[in-house]
Amino acid sequence: MAASPAFGTMGARVIRAGLAAKEFSAREIAESSLARIDVANKDLHAFLETTEQLALEQAAKVDAAVAAGELDACGPLAGVPVAFKDNMNLEGTHTTCSSKMLENYVSPFTATCVARTIEAGGIPLGKLNMDEFAFGSSTETSAFGPTKNPWDLSRVPGGSSGGSAAAVAAGLATVTLGSDTGGSIRQPGSFCGTVAVKPTYGVVSRYGVVAFGSSLDQVGPFTRSVEDAALAMNAIAGRDVLDCTSQNVDTDFTANLAEGVRGMRIGVVPAFMEAQGLTPEVKAKVEEAAEHLRALGAELVEVDLPNAQAAMSAYYVLGPCEAFSNLARFDSVRYGYCDPGHKDLGSQYEASRAAGFGPETRRRVMLGSYLLSAGVYDKYYYPAQQVRTLITQDYARAYEQVDCILAPVSPRTSFRFGEVSDPTDMYLSDMFTISINIAGNGGMSLPVGLGADTHLPVGVQLISPAFKDENMLRAAAALETVYGPAPIAPAYADGKAGE
Amino acid sequence: MTQHVTEHDVRDIAEYTRIGLTDEEVARMTGDLNAIIDSLSPITEYDLEGVEPTFHPIGGLSNVMREDAEEPSFTQGVALENAPKQQDGCFLIPSILGEGGDR
Amino acid sequence: MRKLEEVLKDWEAVIGLEIHAELTTLDTKMFCGCKLEFGAEPNTHTCPVCLGMPGALPVPNRAAIESIVLAGLATNCDIEKHSMFYRKTYMYPDMSKNYQTTQGPVAFCMRGHLDLDVDGAAAKERIDLDGLDVGESRGNATRTETGYTAHVGITRIHMEEDAGKMVHIGGGEGRIAGATHSLVDYNRAGTPLTELVTDPDLRTPEEARLFMQKLRQIYLALGISDCSMEEGSMRCDGNVSLRRRGAKEFGVKTELKNMNSFKNLHDGLAYEICRQAEVLEEGGQIFQETRHWDPSAKRTIVMRVKETADDYRLFPDPDLAPYDLTDEWIESVRAKLPELPDQKAARFEDAFGLTPYDARHLVEHRATADFFEACMELAGADAAKLAKPVANLVINDVTAYLNAHEGAQLADTPLTPARAVALVRLTAADAISSKQAKEVFAAILDEDKDPDAIVRERGMEQVSDTGAIEAVVDAVLAANPDKVEQYRGGKTGLIGFFVGQCMKEMRGQGNPKVINELLASKLSS
Repeated sequence: MAASPAFGTMGARVIRAGLAAKEFSAREIAESSLARIDVANKDLHAFLETTEQLALEQAAKVDAAVAAGELDACGPLAGVPVAFKDNMNLEGTHTTCSSKMLENYVSPFTATCVARTIEAGGIPLGKLNMDEFAFGSSTETSAFGPTKNPWDLSRVPGGSSGGSAAAVAAGLATVTLGSDTGGSIRQPGSFCGTVAVKPTYGVVSRYGVVAFGSSLDQVGPFTRSVEDAALAMNAIAGRDVLDCTSQNVDTDFTANLAEGVRGMRIGVVPAFMEAQGLTPEVKAKVEEAAEHLRALGAELVEVDLPNAQAAMSAYYVLGPCEAFSNLARFDSVRYGYCDPGHKDLGSQYEASRAAGFGPETRRRVMLGSYLLSAGVYDKYYYPAQQVRTLITQDYARAYEQVDCILAPVSPRTSFRFGEVSDPTDMYLSDMFTISINIAGNGGMSLPVGLGADTHLPVGVQLISPAFKDENMLRAAAALETVYGPAPIAPAYADGKAGE
Repeated sequence: MTQHVTEHDVRDIAEYTRIGLTDEEVARMTGDLNAIIDSLSPITEYDLEGVEPTFHPIGGLSNVMREDAEEPSFTQGVALENAPKQQDGCFLIPSILGEGGDR
Repeated sequence: MRKLEEVLKDWEAVIGLEIHAELTTLDTKMFCGCKLEFGAEPNTHTCPVCLGMPGALPVPNRAAIESIVLAGLATNCDIEKHSMFYRKTYMYPDMSKNYQTTQGPVAFCMRGHLDLDVDGAAAKERIDLDGLDVGESRGNATRTETGYTAHVGITRIHMEEDAGKMVHIGGGEGRIAGATHSLVDYNRAGTPLTELVTDPDLRTPEEARLFMQKLRQIYLALGISDCSMEEGSMRCDGNVSLRRRGAKEFGVKTELKNMNSFKNLHDGLAYEICRQAEVLEEGGQIFQETRHWDPSAKRTIVMRVKETADDYRLFPDPDLAPYDLTDEWIESVRAKLPELPDQKAARFEDAFGLTPYDARHLVEHRATADFFEACMELAGADAAKLAKPVANLVINDVTAYLNAHEGAQLADTPLTPARAVALVRLTAADAISSKQAKEVFAAILDEDKDPDAIVRERGMEQVSDTGAIEAVVDAVLAANPDKVEQYRGGKTGLIGFFVGQCMKEMRGQGNPKVINELLASKLSS
């Protein structure tokens, strides 16, 4: 291992410079990154599948461009080791959603966000573990076993995009993509100490990403620097004709990173800071970050989100309802697990869906079915959509006063496997992230060092107005000048692979 | 905790969603669902008189359509590549009605 | 079981229709770019979207939305500017996502109507209209010269997607009952499908048949569907209930399926009305159930009993943006409306002096209406004079011929508008008799020749030359002096004898009108 540098620990700019200077080739990046994953993944279990052939093919293209002196034409992620959450279709690879239901499913097409990452020059290394169908906050619901937190293998990496966060925190990839329905990018970003961005709903195409909550899901990058996150955003953002809800975005997300926060108005939400369950170490980190922002020239403004407290219940109505519908298609007919030996379709359906779906998936599907049923719809689903209006209005009012909002990501740092077993307790992991999905605007987690009590990574959340994702990136870049880029988890630093 | 759904209800939901549960699983699911539904109560306590619902987040999008232009389709082989069972270019399923079934 | 006409004296039938039409004239499916084509190899017109692959997303076809708005405008609907697509849960293997993308409470087209002209024997089935004078109304019907007009409300027309097709194996005759397994082909899955729902305004099977027929004419005129009931691109389900004449309360309704021709629609409803009457008259009860019309057995059989209302878990589809149609856009669609059958009929009445009956029947089919128009163009200055005989030819002879030759298309027969006009001109000029005209008509179709040639070959020219006829008349009168005497003495009925003799002399080719005139003048002098 010592011979080759750990490319996954490098930033996109360093990789680009190295390629341009012919210090290394894209082929070396691919081969060395895959070898490192082979070792590190044994304990970490971040990757469900590696894609050697695709990686080498893509590396050959990048090397050809370098040889032809056309590196500039290669896109913002040229030669960058990338990997994808396993709910993203990539033609010819398994896309399992960490479910037994899709264990043998091979994608016949590619998700737009994946295609754009590869078109931007990224070298696809593989597919990443997650909570089953993204239902969870720890990757413990993965049918193929959980991913470990690279900072402490006895702890969860968060979820549902736990594999995506762990891979970046361990330096196995420079950029990974995750998806976030209620906090599934930001919370694992916080638990593993990476930059983790959930863009505004509609900024990144959802085409080819297996749906959980269609009105809530959004794809975004995990990186160790704000600049890499902005580069990844440049690659994946923008209108896709295959997704009706995607929108035109012509922002260069790197453009204002160096501007600093002088003159920016940044909101803090007192009710969040007093929330029950927020641990003192996380609270202290958020307050510290606020002080840094003030010191850097930002104006701190208290804002009120009076209806945010209802976001949790609205989310646990809307998410399951949409999930129930989105998961109806897994029926053992066209693809997916088919329980053998049934003489009638009804028993094949019931046995396949019982065996193919894990307990949390069944819970969400059945909850959604109940909430949409006649008579119940008007009691929960419709009011939840009205609450969505109120929360959206809250944010709109807040953004009349501020350019972005600072908040906690998760109330606590990473917990131990099995520590949180009650479903409703687990749902509290997302108490500070969910209202952003309900309203649809952008939010991100920025690592701000280790908690004073647990000595585990803590992230703070920066929240942008809709389609102003560059605001939170700008504030994050300013804070990054204080905290530095996200560190590699110690066991994986300096080229180590957790051996 | 309020009893929002009974075991009987849960069996009905399981049948609707086509998820076969054992008696033991039904009992556990009934408890789980009641606990979760309990936690949703804030939604039912809001005064929402006159508030419009937001079915589609991020307002402003409407009339998003494509032109009536042909795009490549799968070959039959690709369409059936993931099929658990197939026959004669089609997806194969067991009897829909079951033995002596009626619909 | 009693006959329909008897049953309808005691019972009022309340019928509503649900009519599905696939937008077959589009190039691609509703939510993806797969080609629309009937009869392709299984599963070759499929993609992630119409196979319901995980991660696929729908994008609506603009032309389909235009088509349904055209349909709404042509059926007097209000076009709803704001509407959404919904998901309707329905776990069945022909539905690849296990929900159908359809519309919710608000459809693109709401609150329309069609007016049906009912005449002939079927008009007598509405005994509730007895005693009405022409122009007088009762309920939704208005008495006309030939029958009545029924105003039939359209609840809505909404946009949705069709399901795939299944073949059932191991049961009898491809039936689902008894099948050991089934094969699913998703080529049809995602085909743009419109569903029109009528108000429960129809009262007789004939009204239902006429509604379906009229709607089909409109859709064909709009060019939005091939409306093939055989291939299933246009399908009709009916809801039927009975109530005693004079009663206000609706009875329990049954839903009737598999009425895949106009005849089956009529006969299936007629059977179901009679069946329900029998059950009710015997003190029985009608159950809310779905029944299947079996045309060979001529009866309806139970498919499914609905114990509770279906719960489709309907909710707005978050993958599809809502619709917010503008007036400008709706007007731009309206500008594409072609002339509709009713408008065409009115124009035929105005321009050519046709009766409403003739005009209505001419426009029943695009082909006959176009044929008639082509004839009128060729007729030039004689159009007004020839309109009635051309209309008769088309409505009676052509229709009879096409009915007798299943699948025949007017455009593919040897009868061209030019030949039709030539034939009608021959009759109008008394060059041939109307009886001979029938023979020539048949010969055109059998031998693919022009009428003039047929008349010539068969020596059928009617002799109208007064000089030639006068010679024969004179000879006949000279040969029968006694009969001439009797005629002049008052036995004027002998005129037939003289005409017959002249015709015999002329081997049937004398113009009877000229013969009559000459005989009358010579006998009276």
